[in-house]
Amino acid sequence: MSSTLERSTWATEPVEEGFIERGGVRIAYQVFGSGDPTILLQPADTISQARMWKLQVAYLARRFRVVTYDPRGNGRSDRPTDPAKYDEREVVGDAIAVLDATGTERAIVIGLCSGHPTFVAAQHPERVLGIVAFSPTVRLAPPFDYGEDYEAVRDTYEGWEKENRHYQVEDWEGYARFFFGECFPEPHSSRQIEQAIEWALETSGEVYVSCQDGARYLTDLDEVEAMVRRIRCPVLSVWGTEDRIIPRARAERLADLTGGEVVIMEGSGHIAQARQPVATNLLIRDFADRVTGRIPTSATWTVARNRPRRALWVSSPIGLGHGARDIAIADELRKLRPDLEIEWLAQHPVTELLRARGERIHPASASLASESDHIDREAGEHDLQVFQALRRADEILVANFMLFLDVVQEEPFDLWVGDEAWDVDHFLFENPELKRTPYVWLTDFVGFLPMPDGGAYEASLTADYNAEMVEHLERYPRLRDRAVFVGNPDDIVAGTFGPDLPSIRGWTEDHFDFSGFVTDVVPPSNDERAAIRERLGYRPDERVCIVTVGGSGTGDHLLRKVIAAYPEAKRAVPDLRMVVVAGPRIDPDSLPATEGLEVHGYVDGLARHLSVCDLAVVQGGLTTTMELTAARRPFLVFPLAHHFEQNFHVRHRLERYGAGRYLEYATTTPDAIAAAIAEEVDRSVDYRPVETDGAERAAAMLAELV
Amino acid sequence: MRAREPDRSGFAEHDGVRIAFEVFGEGEPTILFMPNAPIIHSLQWKAQVPYFARHARVVTYDGRGNGRSDRPTTVGAYRDEVLLADAFAVMDASETDRAVLVALCGSVTRACLMAATGPERVLGIVAIAPGIDLAPEPEAEFDFESTPDTDEGWAKCTRQYWLRDYPGWSRFWAEQLFPEPHSTKQIEDATAWQVDTTAEINLLREEAYGDLVGSIEDAEALLARVTCPLLIVAADLDACQGTAPAERMAELTGASLVRFEGSGHVPPARHPVEVNLLIRDFVRTLAPAEVVV
Repeated sequence: MSSTLERSTWATEPVEEGFIERGGVRIAYQVFGSGDPTILLQPADTISQARMWKLQVAYLARRFRVVTYDPRGNGRSDRPTDPAKYDEREVVGDAIAVLDATGTERAIVIGLCSGHPTFVAAQHPERVLGIVAFSPTVRLAPPFDYGEDYEAVRDTYEGWEKENRHYQVEDWEGYARFFFGECFPEPHSSRQIEQAIEWALETSGEVYVSCQDGARYLTDLDEVEAMVRRIRCPVLSVWGTEDRIIPRARAERLADLTGGEVVIMEGSGHIAQARQPVATNLLIRDFADRVTGRIPTSATWTVARNRPRRALWVSSPIGLGHGARDIAIADELRKLRPDLEIEWLAQHPVTELLRARGERIHPASASLASESDHIDREAGEHDLQVFQALRRADEILVANFMLFLDVVQEEPFDLWVGDEAWDVDHFLFENPELKRTPYVWLTDFVGFLPMPDGGAYEASLTADYNAEMVEHLERYPRLRDRAVFVGNPDDIVAGTFGPDLPSIRGWTEDHFDFSGFVTDVVPPSNDERAAIRERLGYRPDERVCIVTVGGSGTGDHLLRKVIAAYPEAKRAVPDLRMVVVAGPRIDPDSLPATEGLEVHGYVDGLARHLSVCDLAVVQGGLTTTMELTAARRPFLVFPLAHHFEQNFHVRHRLERYGAGRYLEYATTTPDAIAAAIAEEVDRSVDYRPVETDGAERAAAMLAELV
Repeated sequence: MRAREPDRSGFAEHDGVRIAFEVFGEGEPTILFMPNAPIIHSLQWKAQVPYFARHARVVTYDGRGNGRSDRPTTVGAYRDEVLLADAFAVMDASETDRAVLVALCGSVTRACLMAATGPERVLGIVAIAPGIDLAPEPEAEFDFESTPDTDEGWAKCTRQYWLRDYPGWSRFWAEQLFPEPHSTKQIEDATAWQVDTTAEINLLREEAYGDLVGSIEDAEALLARVTCPLLIVAADLDACQGTAPAERMAELTGASLVRFEGSGHVPPARHPVEVNLLIRDFVRTLAPAEVVV
C-alpha cells in the first residue's frame, strides 16, 4: 500500500502551505480557498492527521477560507518521542501559532475529540468567532469505563484491553484497527476504517505512547467547568448516539455551560465528519453563516408558474459512453418535451462531447473535482481496480455531491438525471431529506463483483457495497423515481450480490425498467456503409482498423502495444489502414510515430467511423463494444485488468450477442495482436441484433416525470 | 376563522388615540410586523403570523385609521412623527424591548426611522418592496387633483373618484397590486381591508405625509443612520414602488437584495411560503444562539 503522503487525488488543492515551529517541533499547515470567515479545522491527537477533514475541505473552501494542520506526531508534522512535547496545553499554542502564520485574525475553530477548540476559545476569545466541537474530549463528565488498564502487561490483549501502552507499541496496526472499529460502529464503514488506519500507520505506537504520556491540561471537573464558562462565542456541540469514545454528557454539558447548541446525530458513531459527511458539512456551513450573519447576497426567486422547465443531467465522466448515450436520450426527450431546457453538470471528457454538440454546460461544472484524473492516477499498465478506485474516490464524490447540492438548492429544476452519477445517488440515499425533485438513475450494470485475485477481503467489500445498495432501495424505494437499466434483462449477470443477498438478476428486474441498449448511431446498411466510408475518406479497397480506448486516459499502454503490432499486421494484411484514436485524455503526440500509421486525438462522432470499419481494437468499455456489435463489425477486446465491469458485466453481455474476441493485455504480444488482426479482419459476423430504439424508450420513461 | 388566535391583545394609547395590538407565541426574538395603515390593517400579515408564532414571538398592530384602532380625523394625527411614536408605543405596551421588524412598502421608511432613533430596540429589518423616497416617483397618468373625463383605469387615482367611489378605487388598486394570475382571493382580501376605512381617512394621511422623510435627501440621510442588519426584497412586477427604491437601498446599505421574479407588490400575501422562509433565515442570522437546527 502506498503512503497516503504520496499524494492521491485531492478534491481541492491548498493555496498556501508551510510549517510553524514551536519548541523545536515543526507543525505543517495548509490553507484552502479565500472566502470569509476562516475556518480552522483542528487535528485530533497523534493517531490521525489533518486529512481527517478531507470530506469537508473542498466544500468549505468554496465558501470560506479553510486552514488545516497536522498534529504533533503525524502527517507532515514532526514526530517527537519526548512526552513533554505532547503536553495538552500545546494544543492552544499550536492553534494560535497556525492562525498567526496564516495571517488569520479570527476564525471559527472546529475540532473533533481531542482537538480541544474549547481551550482555544476560553484562552483566546479575541481570536475565535465560534466553535464547533464534535464529540468533544472536554472533561465535564467521566469517560466511558471499559475496564481498560493502560499499564498492565498481558499475554494477549482483547477488546478494550488493547487500550494499553505495551499493546500499542507491540501491534500498532492491531490497535488502530480495533480503535477505528469502535469509532465507526455504523454498518458499511469499511472505507472510513481503512482510511483511518492508513493515517494511523504513518506514525508508530512509540510516538503514540509518548503522546499519551504528555501532561493533561485541566482534569479537575471544577477547573474544566470554570474554563468552559469563560467561553463567550457561539458554541455548537455535536454528538452521535453510537459514539463509543466520548459520552453524551460531555457534549451536552458543554452546550449547557456555554449557552450553546447541541446537535445529536442519531445513529452516528464517533467520527461523523467521515461517515456522515454531507450532514456534517451542512451543519458547519449553517453554523458559520449564522455566526457571521451571512444571508444570501443577491438571490432571485422566480414564481413557480414563470419558471422554465429544466433538467439537470449528471453524466459519469468515466469514459465517453455515458455522455454519448445521455445526449442520445436527451435528444429524444426534447422531442417529447420541446420546452425542456437541459443543463449538464459534467466534467472532462464528457464536456468535450457536450461542447461539440452545443449542449448547455452548467457553469458550476468548472468547480467539479476531477473523477477522471483520479481514475487515471489509480490505473496501472492497462490495469484498473475500478471498484477500489471508486471507493478511494470518496473525497471527490463528497465534494462533487456538495457542489450538486449547492446548484439544486440555488436553482429550481424539474428533473435530475444521474447516469452512473455515484455521488448524487449514494448521498441522496444517505441524506434522503435533500431530495426535492424527480430523480432518475441510469446505469448499464448492477452489482459490484470481486476480482478473483482480490480474495475473501475484496469479496466481503463488494458484498458490503451491494448490501448497502439493497438496503438503500428497501428503505427508500421511491427515492429514485425511475431506475433505468440501459440494456435488457438477459444482459444482467448471473449470481448473487453476495452471501445471503438477493440474486442480481431477480433483484434488478424488480427494481429497474429496461430501455435496451442506447446509441445515437443507427447501424448502416451495406449501401449506406459504402457512402459513409467515402464521406469519411476510407477507400473501398483498404481495410480500415480503428484502434480506440474511448474516452479513457488509462489506455495508452494498449495503444502503444497495438502500434507495436502495426508493422507485422501490415505485412500480414497489406491493404491494412490502421487509424489510432487517442481520445480526449491522451495526447496523440505522446504516442510513437510509425510510418504509415494514422494517429488522431479526439474524434467527434467516432461511433460513425466504427460503424463502417473493417476491424476495431478496443478496450472493454460497454458503449464502444456494443456500438461495434450493433454495427456488426468484428473487433478485438482488451479489457482492463481488475476492472470488474469490463471483465464480467460487459463480457457477459458481449457473449450473449456473440460479439468480440477477448484478449488479455498482459499476455498478448504485439505479434499475437498482429496475428489476431489478420484473423479477424475478414470475419463475417453473426451477432444477435441490437435494438435501435433504446434512446426513445429511455426518454419516454423520463418524460413521464417532467 | 383565523389560523392562530392571539395569546394577548390590547391597546397602546398614544396622544389619546388607541392603537390595537396583538401578541402571538413566546420566545426570542420578537418579530414586529409593521402595518400599512391607514390603507389596510394587520390581517395583511395573516400568512406569516401563525408560522412565526410557532418559532418566535410575534407582535402585530393596526395602524391608526384602520382595523380596531381609532380613526382620528385631523391631518396632524397622521404625521410621520406620530406614526413612528405609535410603533414604539406598541412595543412598550406589548413589553417588547427589542424586535426584528418586518415591513412592506411605506412601513419600511417607518422601520428605518425606528432603527435610526431607537437602535437598541431594533435587531434587524426585513424590507419588502420598500416604499422609501430614494427614487423619483413615476409620473402619474392623471393629476390627483384632476377630474378626468373617464372613470376607467388610472382615472380612479384621483381625489374626486376616491370620494365618490372608494370601493371602486380599492378594487382597482388591489388589482394593480396583484398582477399575478390566479390572485382573486388576495385581491378580495385587500379590497375588503381597504374598505374597512374611508377615503377621507386616507386623504388625511396623504396630506400629512413627509414631515420626517419626504425627499431623496431625507431618505438617504435616514439610511446613513441605520446600522442594523437589513434584508431587502424587490418584486419585478411591483406596480406601487417598482424596484428602484429597493435597489438603491441595497446599494446604499450594502444589504442583501433578494429579487422576486414574476411577483407583484405584495409577496407576503401572494408568495407566502418563500417570504416566510426568507424571514426565518434572516431571523436565524440575528439570533444564532437561540436557534436549534
